[in-house]
Amino acid sequence: MDSQIIEVLNVTRETAWLPWAVQYFFLIGLSYGSFMLTLPYFVFGRAQYEKLGRLALLGALACGLTAPVALLADLHGPGRFLNFYLHFQPQSWMSWGSFFIPVYLVGLLLYAWLALRGDFAVQGQGGDSLLTRLYRLAGRGGVAPRMAISAAALLTLVGAVLVALYTGMEVMVVHARPLWNTAFLPLQFAATAFAGAIGLALLFNRFVGDHDTQLEIGLNRLLVLALAVVLTLGGGWLFVSLSGVSPSHSAAFSQVAGMPQWQLTAVWAVLATILPMALAIWRPASSGLITGLIAVHSAWMMRWTIFIGGQSIPKTGAGLYDYHLPLGGDGLLGIVGTLGLWIALLVLMVDYLPWAGQAFASRNKKETNALATSAIAQH
Amino acid sequence: MIQSRRNFLRALPAITVGAALAPAPAIASAAGEEEGKHRWAMVVDVQKCIGCQACTVSCIMENAVPENSFRTIVSTYEVHEGKHTGTYMLPRLCNHCANPPCIPVCPVGATFQRKDGVVVVDGDRCVGCAYCVQACPYDARFINHETGKADKCTFCAHRVDAGLLPACVETCVGGARIFGDLNNPNSKVRHLVDQNKMKVLKPEMGTQPHVFYLGLDERFQGRVEGEGTLWQPSGHGA
Repeated sequence: MDSQIIEVLNVTRETAWLPWAVQYFFLIGLSYGSFMLTLPYFVFGRAQYEKLGRLALLGALACGLTAPVALLADLHGPGRFLNFYLHFQPQSWMSWGSFFIPVYLVGLLLYAWLALRGDFAVQGQGGDSLLTRLYRLAGRGGVAPRMAISAAALLTLVGAVLVALYTGMEVMVVHARPLWNTAFLPLQFAATAFAGAIGLALLFNRFVGDHDTQLEIGLNRLLVLALAVVLTLGGGWLFVSLSGVSPSHSAAFSQVAGMPQWQLTAVWAVLATILPMALAIWRPASSGLITGLIAVHSAWMMRWTIFIGGQSIPKTGAGLYDYHLPLGGDGLLGIVGTLGLWIALLVLMVDYLPWAGQAFASRNKKETNALATSAIAQH
Repeated sequence: MIQSRRNFLRALPAITVGAALAPAPAIASAAGEEEGKHRWAMVVDVQKCIGCQACTVSCIMENAVPENSFRTIVSTYEVHEGKHTGTYMLPRLCNHCANPPCIPVCPVGATFQRKDGVVVVDGDRCVGCAYCVQACPYDARFINHETGKADKCTFCAHRVDAGLLPACVETCVGGARIFGDLNNPNSKVRHLVDQNKMKVLKPEMGTQPHVFYLGLDERFQGRVEGEGTLWQPSGHGA
C-alpha cells in the first residue's frame, strides 16, 4: 500500500563543524597546493619558474599561517588544543592531524626562510635601521645551499602529504555520513586544493606580481589539467554511485539526488569546473583573472558543500536540516575574520618579506620610481 | 485495584503516604557493585509510547540540558496509508552501542565506554571538536552551547550508579521505556530481549545498539523517507 510519511516533530541537529572548518580545509589545501608550485624553482632550480615559485611561496605562507587559526576557533575554546598533545589517540585521524600540522608548518617556515635567505641578505645591505639589522640576521650566511633547501622542502613535502592524507581520511572514515564515506573524497580534496592553488597563483600574478603573460598562459594550462582531474574524480564518484557497485555510494547519491538544492549545487559545481577549463583553453593569455577566481571559488565551494551541505542531511530524520549562515563568529564573521587575517598576513609579507627577489623587474622598477618620486617630493 | 475515580480519590491519601514512604523505583542493583558485572540496556516498546514527551522534559530537567538541545526526544510522524492516517512515535536516544563509532574517532580519548556499557563523555578532557557528533549514525550527540563540549544521553549514569532508573524511564507515562541489566537473567530487559524479536536502529552500521525496539516499523529503522521536520529550534549559539 502506498504510504506517505510527514515528520511532525523531531530535533534539528545543528551544524557541528562550523564554517571555521570549511575555512581551515580550504586554506590548508591552498597552502600545500601552493607549496608544491614553489618546488620547480626553489628546489629544482628551474629559472623560468622563478616568478611562480616566489608568488606561490607567498600563497603557501599566507594560507598556511591562517589555516590553524580557523581550526583553533572551531574548538569553541582555543586553549583546548593542548589536550591533543596530552592525550594522543593513535586510532583517531584527527589526533594524528594535530601532529602533522606542526610538521608541515615548521617545515614550510624553515623552507621559506632558507629559500629567501639570499634575498634577506641582499635586503640587509646598507643602513642600520632595526629592520635592516633583522634582515641581516635572517640573511646571515647568504644564499642557502641547495641541499639545505631541498632537505627543508622534503620535510615540508612529507608534512604536506600527511596533511593532505589526514584531512581526507578524517572525513572519509565517517561511515555515518554516506556522502563523506567515499575513497574519492581525499583525492577530491587534494585535486581541488591544487586547482585552487593554481587559481591563487593566477590571481597573485595579477595583483601581487607584475602580470606576466607567459606565467598566466602556463598556469592556465596547468589549471586545465588540474580541473580535468577534478572532473574525472567527480565523474568516477557519479559512476560508482549510479552503477550500484558500492551501496554506500548509492546511499549517498540517493540521499541528495532528488533534492532541488543539491541538483543546483551539482550543476554549479560542474559549470565552475568546465567554464574555467574552456576559458583557460580559449584565452590562456588573458583569462587568468576569471579562471583564477573561479578555481579558488570552486575549491572553497567544494568544501562548503561537503561540510555544511553534508551536515544538513539528517542521519535519522526526514528531509533536510535548514542551515542559515549566522552573522556572528560561528558564521559570516568567522569567514570574514579569516579572510581579514589572511589579507593582513599577505600585506605584511608583501611589504616586509624579500619575497620578490630580482624576478619582478617591472615591480621593482615601480617601487624604485615610487621611492624616487617620494624623495623628490620631500625636496 | 482501583476501579473507579471515586475509589481512586478515596484511596489517594493512602497512595501518597505509601509513595512517600516507599523507596523510589529502583533497579535491582545499586552502586558499589563490581564494575563489568552489568550491561545496561533499554527496551523501547514503540506501541506503548503515546508521544507525550515526558521523557524529553524529564531528561532536560534531570541533566540540565540547555535550551534547544535534546539528549532524547520522541520523533513523531504522521503516516498516511491509503485512506487512513495515523501517528507514529519513535523515542530516540543514544544507543550505547557495543561497537560505538563515536569512541575511536575522539582525538583526545574524552568519550569512552564504561564497563557496564554506558557511553559517556569526560567533560574535562573533551575539546569540543565535534568529531564524535559526526561519527554517531543516530544524530544522538550534539555540542552543548553552554559548555562548548560534546553532550549526549548517559542512561542517567549518575542515577543508575545510585540504584535509580534513568529519568526518562521513571517518567514514561505508557511504560514504553524499560531499563535494566542484560547480564541479569531475571531482569525484565533480559526477558524481553530473549522472548521477542527485537529490532535496533540502523543494524547495517554494525554498531550493535543496546537500545532495543519492540514493534518497530521498518520504515523508521533507518533514515526516514518522508517530508522534513516542521519544527526547527533556533540556530547554533542562540
